[in-house]
This record gives sequence, structure tokens and C-alpha cells, in this order.
Amino acid sequence: MKKAIGLALAVLAATVVAASAQGGQQVSTQAAAGVSCSGTLKIAFLTPLTGGAGFLGNEQGSWAKYAVKTLAPAMGLKVQLVMGDTPVEQGAAVAQTLAQKYVGDKKVVGIIGPSTSGAAVAATQTFFQAGLAHISPSATKTDLTKSDPSTNGGKLEGTPAFFRDVPGDYIQGPTDARFMINTLHVKKVVIMDFQEPYSTGLASAVDRTLKAAGVATSRLSASNTTTDYSAFVTKVPSDADIVFFPTQKPGDAQTFAQQLLEQGKKAKVFGGDGSNDSSQFKVPGSYVSNFAPDITGFKADAKIIAGWKKDNPGKAVGSFGPPSYGAVQIMLTAIKKACVADHGVIKARHDVLRQMKKVKISNWILGGKFAFSTKSNDPLNAKFYIFQIQSNGSYKLVG
Amino acid sequence: MDQFTQLTVDALTLGSVYALIALGYTLVYGVLKLLNFAHGDVFMVGSFIGFGVLQELGGTSNPVVPVWALLVIVTFAAMAGCAALGVVIERFAYRPLRDAPRIAPLISALGVSFFLSNSMQLLFGADPRNYNTFDLSNGALYLKGFDIGNVRVPLLRIITIVSAFVLMIFLWFLVNRTRTGKAMRATSFDREAAAMMGINIDRVIVFTFVLGSALAGAAGVLFALRVPTTVSIGFVSGLKGFTAAVIGGIGSIPGAMAGGLILGFAESYTQGYVSTKWSDLVVFTILIAFMIFRPQGLLGRADIRKV
Repeated sequence: MKKAIGLALAVLAATVVAASAQGGQQVSTQAAAGVSCSGTLKIAFLTPLTGGAGFLGNEQGSWAKYAVKTLAPAMGLKVQLVMGDTPVEQGAAVAQTLAQKYVGDKKVVGIIGPSTSGAAVAATQTFFQAGLAHISPSATKTDLTKSDPSTNGGKLEGTPAFFRDVPGDYIQGPTDARFMINTLHVKKVVIMDFQEPYSTGLASAVDRTLKAAGVATSRLSASNTTTDYSAFVTKVPSDADIVFFPTQKPGDAQTFAQQLLEQGKKAKVFGGDGSNDSSQFKVPGSYVSNFAPDITGFKADAKIIAGWKKDNPGKAVGSFGPPSYGAVQIMLTAIKKACVADHGVIKARHDVLRQMKKVKISNWILGGKFAFSTKSNDPLNAKFYIFQIQSNGSYKLVG
Repeated sequence: MDQFTQLTVDALTLGSVYALIALGYTLVYGVLKLLNFAHGDVFMVGSFIGFGVLQELGGTSNPVVPVWALLVIVTFAAMAGCAALGVVIERFAYRPLRDAPRIAPLISALGVSFFLSNSMQLLFGADPRNYNTFDLSNGALYLKGFDIGNVRVPLLRIITIVSAFVLMIFLWFLVNRTRTGKAMRATSFDREAAAMMGINIDRVIVFTFVLGSALAGAAGVLFALRVPTTVSIGFVSGLKGFTAAVIGGIGSIPGAMAGGLILGFAESYTQGYVSTKWSDLVVFTILIAFMIFRPQGLLGRADIRKV
């Protein structure tokens, strides 16, 4: 009898919890209705602040904070930026949990990120259902915005609520591969992936272009928690020219390049945008690609850089930060447009989402002008850049 | 043949680090019957202490002492720091629970693990720390060594393997050939009887933590000499060390050494000959097989109780 009562109580408790959670969810999707633009609005940023890709989130976060601090008041908005940590080692669950949390906060009217493709895939449906626009400054997986026949059966993984201000792997993959073919004249390339969406998508894109050009390729796959690549290096043929290494942890690219030298292999490491960090990946002769140029040479950005440096003394301008500044600028512009259209009140989160595609920025931090493509939620006319690591550790633009 | 030789060198490097971690688990379990899940994080702290000391000595690009002295100082500093940490952990997290049900110190161990990793993150941030040993003497640790056939065995790997084996031999000697070791074995066999024979149990337990944690500190440095370390590295490495200890027979010192090496060989050969994707699968399948068919591990004693 006691057992039966206990069981009944447990079922009752579970029902109450589930019902209250569901109730919260229902409220949350409608909660943005009637958020006054004169009050404090929130935008949330989902990015890895800890773990092997923690450098990425911390760099992006510092630029996003600076953008909110300087741009929001200029637009007549009061905005609070909240940061959510999505360590790459913890997979998709964290991003889903955070997405639900932000959907549940009625003051959150826009999302920056998720920064990594895996987290973006995990969270985009939740945001879409809540009508929350989210713009990633670094998630490059192709099928977040357009169909990719090589992954997920050609099915789109992103949603209409997902945007990015950097180009996807549909540009990065072929750009990297064409550089290998036309400039490096490669004959044999080893392609690695790390069993998560970003690297598998990018690896496939590179593989396809190389194979089409008659380059011999072979694939290796490591788990995302691998730290020692010795056994992988052992499998790299001694006549391989390049190991394509699309990690999100630049320190791992450094380890792999060191271990190639250790085993006397001639292949050079070619990293994607995820390994673009000159403080961690610095074996001379290696290559990295990235969606952003070095903005320190742009006169138009001098004031922004000076202001950011004042707020972040001793920090160097990396390549992940400026697109985050840009993503915040786009989101704030869309929020401002929604506020104007709705006469000072954001009636629903969809109103911000509807304004996203209309955003145009004339002095884009990455150079030139910014607008979204009419065919997808990607930036118009964006491209990837290729850098080679020099003997002093600096990155030189080579393609 | 070259691939086999290369994979064997990889396996010995990896396995010797796993063995050092496993020894920490096995020492504590042997004496206290406690699974010290914070051990992986002590390993992580060791790698960070090593990094800090390395920077104080000018880093790898501009060291103020010769390379050999640098490596010795960094390793001993990490061992000393971790030994001190082990004493603190034992005093505040485990000693108050020594007579509590066995689940209590286990939960406390998990708490210490989270405490260590999170406080390290708060103090030092999430960025990976790279010793950059490639910068030492223009890459000599990677580019010099000796050749077996066409396979080069670089200095850094020789240093890692030899250091780990020296420490293991030292530990074996200490436990089997000294009075302190005899006290440890007596405490492990029957704590109450050992106390009645005049052995200071508290001192033995603290010494066990000192030893185990010092080995974790050394393993942390040997590991981080080759790959970047982060505050999250303790979990995976600790899990592998624990697996090695279980495979070898938790509580058995030679077992922990053997378990570490078996794990290193299983991982390396699987990656080399089967698939790079399957190494963890094979490692944990071996663990499950041991749990089912030989739960006492390779060299452990079966737990026989009178009823």
C-alpha cells in the first residue's frame, strides 16, 4: 500500500513538474509580446567560454560586449548582453538547455551565436519555434543555411531564424582545396575530422573538391576529446603533402604539426577557421584559413580597435572578435528597426526576426558593405582568406 | 614493421603516463578502499603548476637554466605542489568521512573533483596552456633521438618513458623494501590490526596521498610536455587512469603499471590497425570484459569474505 502511495505521489509530482515546465514554455514563446524598447532589452550570446575552444568565446565575448556598450546607446537602446557557455567537449545538450533558458526569458529579443556549428544545429529549432533571430559570428557548417548533399542526406539543418555574418564551409572548403591544388600543387592529402558537425562538414567539402581535381585523399577521424595524435600521425603517409585539420582547438593543430615533425613526416598542417589563433598554432610553414581578414590595417576600423583595446588592455586583435562585433551590430540594427516599426514596443520576437534580412551596414567592420544574400541567410559576397605561419609565428596572408 | 615500431613507441609513451595516474588511484584504494575521483584533477593541477614554474624560469623560448635542469625543476615542483594538494584534500575532504558509509567519501571525491576544475578555471581561465617544448633548443626534443629502422624515437618520448619507469621502480622499491612501505601494506591489509601493532594510520594515509598525488603531478608534466593542457583535461585522463587501475586490479601496484601499459597498447594499436574512431570503444570494451570475467583485474586479489 505504501509503495502504491509512493508511486502515485511520484507520478503526481512528475506530472506537476512537467505541466509547470510546459506552462513556462508556453508563456515564454509569447512572453516577448509587448517588451518596451525604452526598458532594458537582453541579447544572449552562446559561445564556448571554457574548454579547448574557450579562447574563441572569450575573444568573441569581449568584442560583443564592446559593441553593445558603444552601439546600443548610439541607437537609443538599453541592452544587456548575457553570456552562455557552450564548451565544445560537452556536445549539443548544453546549447539546447541554454536555448530553452533564453527562450524562457521574455526580455531576450535576440541571440548572438551559437558560435560553433554543433551548438547551432542543436539550438536553432528551439529558437525558431520561439521566433528568436540568432546570428552566428563563426558557425560555418554549410547546411545551417543551405542544403549540403554530403551531410544529413541533403536536408537543411538550420532554420529561417538562423543567420550568420561570415561565409560558410561551402566557400571555405572549396577555397582551401583550390589553394592546395593551384598554389601548393598537392598530390596526396590526408583529411581529418573530429566526429562533430563543423569538422565533418568542412572535411567533406574539401575532400569533394580535391577528388574532383584528381588529388588522392584519405580520411582519418578522431574523437573531439583526443589530445595525443601520435597514432594518427603514424597513419599519415610519408609522401602526403598536406594534412587538412579542421579542429576547433588550435592547440591541437599545434600538437599535430609538432608530432608530424617528430615522426619526420613532410606533410604540412592546413587548419580551418577554428585553428586560426596565432598564440596557440604557430608551427612555421603551416596554413590556416579564416573568414575574416586582419582588420588592423583598415583605417575605418581604427577608432573601434582603439576603443576595444582600451577596454581589453594587453589583448591582441584576433580574427574571431570583429565578426562578433558585426553580429551584434546587425542584431541591434534589427531590434532598432523592429522598435521603430512597432512604435516603441516589440510586440513579438518575430518582429526582430522579420527585420534581420533588411539590415544593411555601410561601414562593415570586415571591410566594404554588409548585406544578407537574397537566397540564404548568409552574407553577400563574403570570402575566405588563407594565411601561412611564418618563422616568427605571425600569420601572413597568402591567398 | 615501421608502423608497428612507431605504434609501440606511441603506446609506451601513452601507457606510461596512464600507469602513473593509475598508481595514484590504486595506492589510495589499496589503503583506504576509496575511489579518489579527484585524482584526475590533481593530475591537471600538476600540469598547471608545471606550466607556471616553466614561465617563471623564462619559458621554453628563453629559459634561465639548462634544458635538463628546467625539466627536472618543473617536474619536481609539480610533484611537490600536488603532494601538498593531496595532503589538503585528505585532511579536509576524506578524513572527516573515514568512518562514514563508503558512498560518502565517494561523493566527497566527486565534489573535490568539480571544486578543483572549477576553481582552476576561475583562477586561470579556460585557455589551453601549451608548454611549447618545441621551442626548447630549436626543437631538439622532437628532432633528436635514436632510430629503430626508419622510425625515430625522439628525445621527448625517451624522457617521458624513462621518467615514468624510474618513478614506478622507485614506488615499487618504496612500498616493498622500506618500513614505510611495510606500514602501508599492513594498513591496506587490515587497518585496525595495523593500528594495534603501533602503526600511525593517519600518517600512513597522508603519506599515501602524498605519494599518489606526487605521481599525478609528475604525470601531469610528462603529459603536458607533449600536448596542451586545459582545466578540463583531468576528467578524460582521470577516467583512463581509473580504467587502467581497474584492468590491472585496483589496489595492486604492479597491476596499475600493467593496466596503464595495456591501455596504451590497446589505444595505440587500435588507432593504428583497426580504426582511429574505435580506440575508446576498444578500451572501454576491455574494461567491461574485465568487470564481467575477471572483476579483480589482472593482478588484483579476489575479494573473498567469510559469511
